[in-house]
Amino acid sequence: MNKMQEVHMKRAGESYYEMRHPSGLRIFVFPKPESHSTYAIFGTSYGSIDNVFRRSDEKDVTRVPAGIAHYLEHKMFENEDGVDTFVRYAKTGANANAYTSFDKTCYLFSCSDNFYDSLEILLDFVQKPYFTDQTVQKEQGIIGQEIQMYEDDPTWQVLFNMLGGMYHNHPVKLNIAGSEQSIAEITPELLYQCYHTFYNLNNMALCVAGNADPEKVLEVCDKMLQPSEDVRVERIFEPEPDSILKPCIHKKGSVASPLFYLGFKENASRRATAEETVQTEILLEALAGDSSPLYRRLLDAGLINESSFGGDYLEGPGYACVTFSGESKDPDKVAEEIRKEVDSVRRNGLNPELFEDAKRTIYGSIISGFNSPENIANSMIAACFAGRSIAPDADAAADATSEDILARLQKQLLPQNAVLSVVEP
Amino acid sequence: MNKIKQRTLQDGVHFRSVQDTKFKTFRISVNFLLPLKQETAAANALIPFLLSRCSSEYPDFTQMSRKMASLYGASLSSDVGKLGDMQVLTLTASAIADRYALHGEALTAQLTQVLCGAIFSPALEDGLFREDDFRQEQRQTLADYNDKRIYALLRCTQIMCAGESFGISRYGSREDVEKLTRRQVTAAWENMLRTARVEILVMGDVDPEPAAQVFSDAFHKIERCCQSRNEAHSFGRIGDIPRVTEHQDVTQGKMVLGLRTSASQFGETELVPATRLMSTIYGGTPNGKLFLNVREKLSLCYYCSSAYNSAAGLMFVQSGVQFQNMKKAEQAILEQLDSVKDGCFTDDDIAAAKLSMVNNYHTVGDSLPALDGWYLSQSLAKIIYTPEEYADMIGAVTREQIVKAAASVRLDAVYCLMGQKEGNAE
Repeated sequence: MNKMQEVHMKRAGESYYEMRHPSGLRIFVFPKPESHSTYAIFGTSYGSIDNVFRRSDEKDVTRVPAGIAHYLEHKMFENEDGVDTFVRYAKTGANANAYTSFDKTCYLFSCSDNFYDSLEILLDFVQKPYFTDQTVQKEQGIIGQEIQMYEDDPTWQVLFNMLGGMYHNHPVKLNIAGSEQSIAEITPELLYQCYHTFYNLNNMALCVAGNADPEKVLEVCDKMLQPSEDVRVERIFEPEPDSILKPCIHKKGSVASPLFYLGFKENASRRATAEETVQTEILLEALAGDSSPLYRRLLDAGLINESSFGGDYLEGPGYACVTFSGESKDPDKVAEEIRKEVDSVRRNGLNPELFEDAKRTIYGSIISGFNSPENIANSMIAACFAGRSIAPDADAAADATSEDILARLQKQLLPQNAVLSVVEP
Repeated sequence: MNKIKQRTLQDGVHFRSVQDTKFKTFRISVNFLLPLKQETAAANALIPFLLSRCSSEYPDFTQMSRKMASLYGASLSSDVGKLGDMQVLTLTASAIADRYALHGEALTAQLTQVLCGAIFSPALEDGLFREDDFRQEQRQTLADYNDKRIYALLRCTQIMCAGESFGISRYGSREDVEKLTRRQVTAAWENMLRTARVEILVMGDVDPEPAAQVFSDAFHKIERCCQSRNEAHSFGRIGDIPRVTEHQDVTQGKMVLGLRTSASQFGETELVPATRLMSTIYGGTPNGKLFLNVREKLSLCYYCSSAYNSAAGLMFVQSGVQFQNMKKAEQAILEQLDSVKDGCFTDDDIAAAKLSMVNNYHTVGDSLPALDGWYLSQSLAKIIYTPEEYADMIGAVTREQIVKAAASVRLDAVYCLMGQKEGNAE
């Protein structure tokens, strides 16, 4: 049946529709009829970590240069007729963009009028690659500049230095845009090869949120989508030990005061579930949120500042870590305090009031997230590629128990897996 | 979108609301507008940050944070901005709407009380802001910028507008912040409550009436005497435009060109929509002349875009450029400006710029921060437009008006940020 299934979320009072299109594409539509704007995102489960892979119709493993997914993203905006994709969007008034992350490449636009025309452009250009020696060559200067911009950015350096200390083999430690050397190896042939492997509709998803009608979205998809051959692709990573490579990385950089990232590597042999990610967020909030005792101690000791300190959960295919980051005059001391706090919670459990506040905070942020079509569409595509869904999030927060949260500590925030990265003046 | 309702609670205290249940949240912002002056900027700038930390009822940061967490992660935030020649001190509270509370809590009423308490009864000691709070916030303000892009724009503004109120940083100068005392900042807070023009905006899934009542009662307890604005000013540069190059540890250069336009809130107001459209055609979108030519065709910059500040009548072109390309990039950027002045753009270019801007205006109503910002930015305007009305005004701009708006644009400052070891861009 060529029908979309409704998924209702009671607590948020919202519904979305999903289906797998006969072309192989997974489609999600989250209607917000009172919204003026609509946000659409068309993405492939293919990012900077996918430099070694095997197609289901080939025997051999393929290796490609680092940064190619991002390079491909840049080149997708050029078309055979010479008309830049932005020029096409200019006729419908949509704001278009694209991004490449560790594990996905996404093309998106937001608009208030002419949504279905813009959707046609999106589905059209992403299905039509066009690269020549000349256009590929030309991009090296622009991407070279972009790589330099990242290298200039100490907040970027401090994260990648941490990942470098954490992962023996996993390519999450490589710069998303690659290096000036690796991108020099990129040719039109390589781009086509990656395109035809990963931009297969079976490996992609379309998410729409805002002022759009599911039936009409489907009509445009029926018209625009070219069925893909049923080829699957296997991501290949060298085996990654649970252990870390280096517990401490101190580097000099262009900063006024030291920046740090403290990460705890965890086993990532399978993707986290929706419940596990929400529980991890609650754990992080209880441990290091604004109202936590740890945060207060660090602040009182002048070790962190309010604007920069925070925790995060970085999770993808074959990698996962809880991180704490910020600015500090003494990052080693901050790291020690965090470790002590984790240890104490592991031994003594969570203060019930603190747990309740952390749970409410995360529940509130999940509900607030439904204000924004942009946030909804991006969350839907991330969940889809991770084998999750956004539907259980609000309930997972509302129903979480203190025991659930403590259970996360058996696998997360293990002291022997900590890496501290510091960029200092 | 639901209509905006506005009224005056008392002299100089304005209350505006947009009630709309399509949002999951509500937002209340209280904005104090004061004339931007070098001698008061630093003390004023510290106020909102001190007020949002704690209050006499929640007398330290942790107690305040716990209260916010118990209100489902409500936020109380502060900001300092500039609106033309006014300094804007803002406290904003937001939270999920009452209907989503898991146990039926009255979130709106509680959060309004917290916000009101933070503004009118801060945690004082002997009638002054407390030493600890004061030092924390002073240190925070002094923390250097790590973002070179923002730093370069700030420096260009200072250099171009030296001696004008627009050139004063919204945070005051570093030296002034260092010299501040608790007594000065406490006096500045009292002065703010008494003399600032106040704009209260309440938006989202919320009944605005109880909030209006709470703030009306609070302001009636203060003896108010609203301060007048800065004198209208005129500007004329004599001699060469300033060119400043600074060196820092960066691998990619940043270049900011400061430009002046004739249309602003002070003069030629009728040309403001045309000037906005002109800036969009010039470099406001990835379809603009700067992006397509200077970045795409010439590959001179990683980013290159223009932005127009209508409150001040200033336009800035920001770019990321390799050191050796700066001279070439400046030339290319100015050539594109000349081509706009010469009317070298197609009707398609105009249509595309209009569509992009109209699109932006139409989406303002979908975000509470955007809606709040939209109405706040019009606090000083004689006529208040809805985003939809403004979209119609942009739609009506003609080619002739765009060329006329471009004709007055002139380069008035060049700021370059380069690496330590590099020589000049020549």
